[in-house]
Amino acid sequence: MAETKYLSEHYDKKEYRTLEGYKKLGGYEMLAKALKMQPQAIIDEVKASGLRGRGGAGFPTGSKWGFLPNNGEPRYLLCNADESEPGTFKDRVMMEKAPHQLIEGMLISAFAVKSHKAYIYIRGEYMGPTMILEQAIREARAAGLIGKNILGSGFDCDLDLYLGAGAYICGEETGLISSLEGYKGQPKLKPPFPAVQGYLRKPTIVNNVETLAAVVPILRDGAAGYRKYGTEKSAGTKLFSISGDVAKPGTYEVPLGIKLMDFINVEAGGMKPGRKLKAVVPGGSSAPVLTAAECQDATLDYENMAAKGTMLGSGAIIVIDDSRCMVDVLSTITHFYHHESCGQCTPCREGTGWIEKIVKGIVKGDGKPGDVDLLLKISDNMKGRTICALSDAAALPVLSFVTKFRSEFEYFINEKKSQILGTKLYAQSSPYAAHAEAH
Amino acid sequence: MSVVQKPKEVTNWYLPGILSGMGLTFKKMSRNLATVLRGGRALNSRSEMMTLNYPEEKYEYSPRFKGNHVLTVKKDGSIRCTACMLCATNCPADCIKITAAEHDDPTVEKFPIAYEIDILRCVFCGFCEEACPVDAIRMGPEWQRPGVNGAPFVYDIKELAYRPQLKGGIVSVVDEQERHKAGI
Amino acid sequence: MLKCTINGKELEVKEGTTIIEAFHQNGMSIAHYCWHPGLSVAGVCRLCMVEIVGNPRLQIACNTQVTANMVINTESEKVKDAVKWGLDFHLINHPLDCPICDQAGECGLQDQYMAFGKYDPEMAEKKVKKHKVVDLGPTVVLDSERCILCSRCVRFTNEVSKTDELGIFNRGDRAEIGTFDGKPLDNNYSLNTVDICPVGALTSKDFRFRQRVWLLKEHKTICTGCSTGCNIRVFYNKEGLFRNKPVYNKDVNGYWMCDVGRDTYKFVNKSSRLLDGRVAKNGRGEWVLPTVAAEKAGEHLRDAKANSKSIALVLTGQYSVEEYEALVGYFKNELGTDKIFHWINNPDSIDKFDGLLYRGDQNPNTKGLIEVLTKHGIQTQWRALIEGLSTGAIGTVVVAGPENQAAFPDLKAKIMEISRASKLIWMQAGKNEQLEQLEGDVTLIPLKTYVEKDGTFVNYAGIRQHVTKGVAVVPHALSLTEVTALFRGDDVQPEVAPDLVGQGRIHNEFTLVRGQL
Repeated sequence: MAETKYLSEHYDKKEYRTLEGYKKLGGYEMLAKALKMQPQAIIDEVKASGLRGRGGAGFPTGSKWGFLPNNGEPRYLLCNADESEPGTFKDRVMMEKAPHQLIEGMLISAFAVKSHKAYIYIRGEYMGPTMILEQAIREARAAGLIGKNILGSGFDCDLDLYLGAGAYICGEETGLISSLEGYKGQPKLKPPFPAVQGYLRKPTIVNNVETLAAVVPILRDGAAGYRKYGTEKSAGTKLFSISGDVAKPGTYEVPLGIKLMDFINVEAGGMKPGRKLKAVVPGGSSAPVLTAAECQDATLDYENMAAKGTMLGSGAIIVIDDSRCMVDVLSTITHFYHHESCGQCTPCREGTGWIEKIVKGIVKGDGKPGDVDLLLKISDNMKGRTICALSDAAALPVLSFVTKFRSEFEYFINEKKSQILGTKLYAQSSPYAAHAEAH
Repeated sequence: MSVVQKPKEVTNWYLPGILSGMGLTFKKMSRNLATVLRGGRALNSRSEMMTLNYPEEKYEYSPRFKGNHVLTVKKDGSIRCTACMLCATNCPADCIKITAAEHDDPTVEKFPIAYEIDILRCVFCGFCEEACPVDAIRMGPEWQRPGVNGAPFVYDIKELAYRPQLKGGIVSVVDEQERHKAGI
Repeated sequence: MLKCTINGKELEVKEGTTIIEAFHQNGMSIAHYCWHPGLSVAGVCRLCMVEIVGNPRLQIACNTQVTANMVINTESEKVKDAVKWGLDFHLINHPLDCPICDQAGECGLQDQYMAFGKYDPEMAEKKVKKHKVVDLGPTVVLDSERCILCSRCVRFTNEVSKTDELGIFNRGDRAEIGTFDGKPLDNNYSLNTVDICPVGALTSKDFRFRQRVWLLKEHKTICTGCSTGCNIRVFYNKEGLFRNKPVYNKDVNGYWMCDVGRDTYKFVNKSSRLLDGRVAKNGRGEWVLPTVAAEKAGEHLRDAKANSKSIALVLTGQYSVEEYEALVGYFKNELGTDKIFHWINNPDSIDKFDGLLYRGDQNPNTKGLIEVLTKHGIQTQWRALIEGLSTGAIGTVVVAGPENQAAFPDLKAKIMEISRASKLIWMQAGKNEQLEQLEGDVTLIPLKTYVEKDGTFVNYAGIRQHVTKGVAVVPHALSLTEVTALFRGDDVQPEVAPDLVGQGRIHNEFTLVRGQL
């Protein structure tokens, strides 16, 4: 199936970035339409569209909005643009190509959830998108689209940009809220959930960039129009960022439910010449890996991925071909989670470090016979034991890599060299090697 | 298994017992006298002489004998003890007295400024040795130490770790620096 | 009230109770570090795992409220395994410092590992190295390697002392507790962080390396540092007292006590005590047994009874109600004087309060003293004593001086003032050179301190709290009740106890007992 440019329809036009160009292509019409609607009607429309959170968890957006308590407290809408999952870069594309689409989606959502203050929490490393968004917000504010009495409707909504400091954990919604409040970016205990007590202990909605942007076409085409794409339970289109050993890595928008292999072979241009598919990480580095065999009948939707024991996550597909050593790939992933664990909960704080040390030991040729089982035990005991999902995110790849590619790990431990490359490869191949050594 | 010898009837008779005992003594005495007269080697020839000329001559005990305590030292000659007081806690005779203090070196942290063993209370059970986590206290082969009043029987660090017989101190097998290096 | 079942036992708890509170209220044990009843819930140690029927995931007991008919279980293999691994995660980077760690013996990690541990460590990798012996402030030393990042101390400075000195810096297993530049941990409640630290990461500079905790006994008593009357435990052995720690009392001090109160053990120790009585003989002082000194003073008082207007009694707010009752009763009813004066040590700051525990009135029993004086209808002004002394109308002055001399900034001036009396009978627990050097007819009587006697203290709010005798640092010292009996001429048997407490710590006490051979 070919690429479906639904959200990304005008992404190739340069003027789409400017307010003028965006308006020319039908921008902010939906905002004007929304402001004349009842907020509840918008929520119902989003609910009916079956839109699910695009940030990773895939929680139905309409239901999330419905959790807000009706107690007259001020509400906050936060846009999670802290896109730090290794392999994910779709939000960056969206913010760079269509900043006004996000702003319009946020204003409509803010109107729907009756929030008068919205923030975009953007990843600290995203300097380019930040500047583009800042420019767009300035333009929109000057045009009276942000601020008091938007488009003469009497609805006030202020929108601000907040730059993170580059912590992966701030992409977790309560971590994001802590960071936005000015505290150390650490997840908070749930309950209370952010919808009840979030930013400044007030009801708060946190949504991904893509989710908020998708509100615009939903309002334009109606729930039924949106549901034309995708499957019954995974409605609509989604932007996937595909990277790794494919011919054409990049961000592509496709309807949910298409075949993974089609996506790799058609959109991403297939494998590099002469290479064979070995494994696919379908939803960012925290998703369990799929073997080539499992990939054959996999489809890109939430249900099929869950049935295969992995997840669609943020739609970051990392393709690994037969020239890669899985031990080395895992050593990079474990280093990332060790580096990014916030250090609050013990199993994650200590477990991520422990796992990295063991995997690093194997890669260096110092592996011990019991290491594979120990890795499984450690990650099994990290899973589901912490405040946020980072511990799971660190444990799941280990579990899947070690169970699905056990022979490679055992070969490395016994022979003290990689089965694929025939050497110890820590020093030359891992991009983190120098950094890790310095630690 | 023990063998019980029943006394013979003869041993109950008074005079023969006395005479046979004195006979044995006389026999040994004359043999020793003959050995001494034959040449000066007698003092050291243990095969022929059963007795020692104490205190000029002393018996050498096995290195594993549990006699007087020795405090071991580190490679640099400072005291190995970390003043954890496990020996004092474990001591059934309550004869160990340690006063701890903070060391200038943060890697050492705690060390004893006073370590005293009241040797007259000590029962030489070896529990202190058992309790020590860092091989700081051992029991050595020497044990006789005469004195005329109470004071010399309380051994301090100088006595326990650096007495002349130890020739500058016995080095402990547990090395903190190596432990740190190994990341334990 | 909600019904729930914990480990097969049916219980009723109040609405809003968390599971861990339900465990504690019913005396059941559950593994935990970061949860402290006096602090907010952090939920970071992940040890208080419970299985709730109907929930596939294990939940933490500290952040889960009991709901109606909840069935909670901590005895399943799943929970036990989770706790075992949770403990192992805590331990993998914990250093082997137990021999030199002050917490050993009362360490949460040691205790809980014995109860719930895994017993087969699998960590073969190098441990993470962090800073050791970090000076956090004037009272506390930090060892980051031992820290398990339970964040209790951080929450304490945030929520209780509200001084916000501590924070967690860095992240992951590099995270460390620390202070901000130029803002050390320096507040009057800083040592509570040492108490709540479940491991030996925070240690008190005052107690550091002075004694192993298993060699100490404890005795529950009341802090006499101020009129709040915090409930405390004193830790002592035959060498003396070593530290104070708070005991939970909902009405008085909650879980905490101040750093000033922690110093109140110091004046009890033998090195700062008046050990014997002293009487004037031929114009010179002579050391005698306390009972002898008191008897002699009693003889004098009974002689002076005829001129009872010349006898005055000065009382500080440092003694128990029973003692006041005996002494005031004797002076008022038997000697017939109503010249009984209340020595207020710091009249300017007596009403100060820091908002948490520490009060300006640094006497444990001012309220009790006023109560007794009112009961006997005594109303006097300090001025009257001064006037009486300068005119010579007052000849004999009996003083129950301060137990805690550090709390009496005017002590020196008051001694000067009162020593103008022709006959001075000064009773107090602490050593004071100025008193010993006084010339003239001076009698000194050593008194017992608050841990050496039974009695009642009335705190600022009128709460009556009893203390009991725990230790005998100076066994033959007297309480005011005993002194009164001796004044009256009754026979009091001096206490005989092995006089081991407070011998010089450098020396082996057995040598001293045995003496020379």
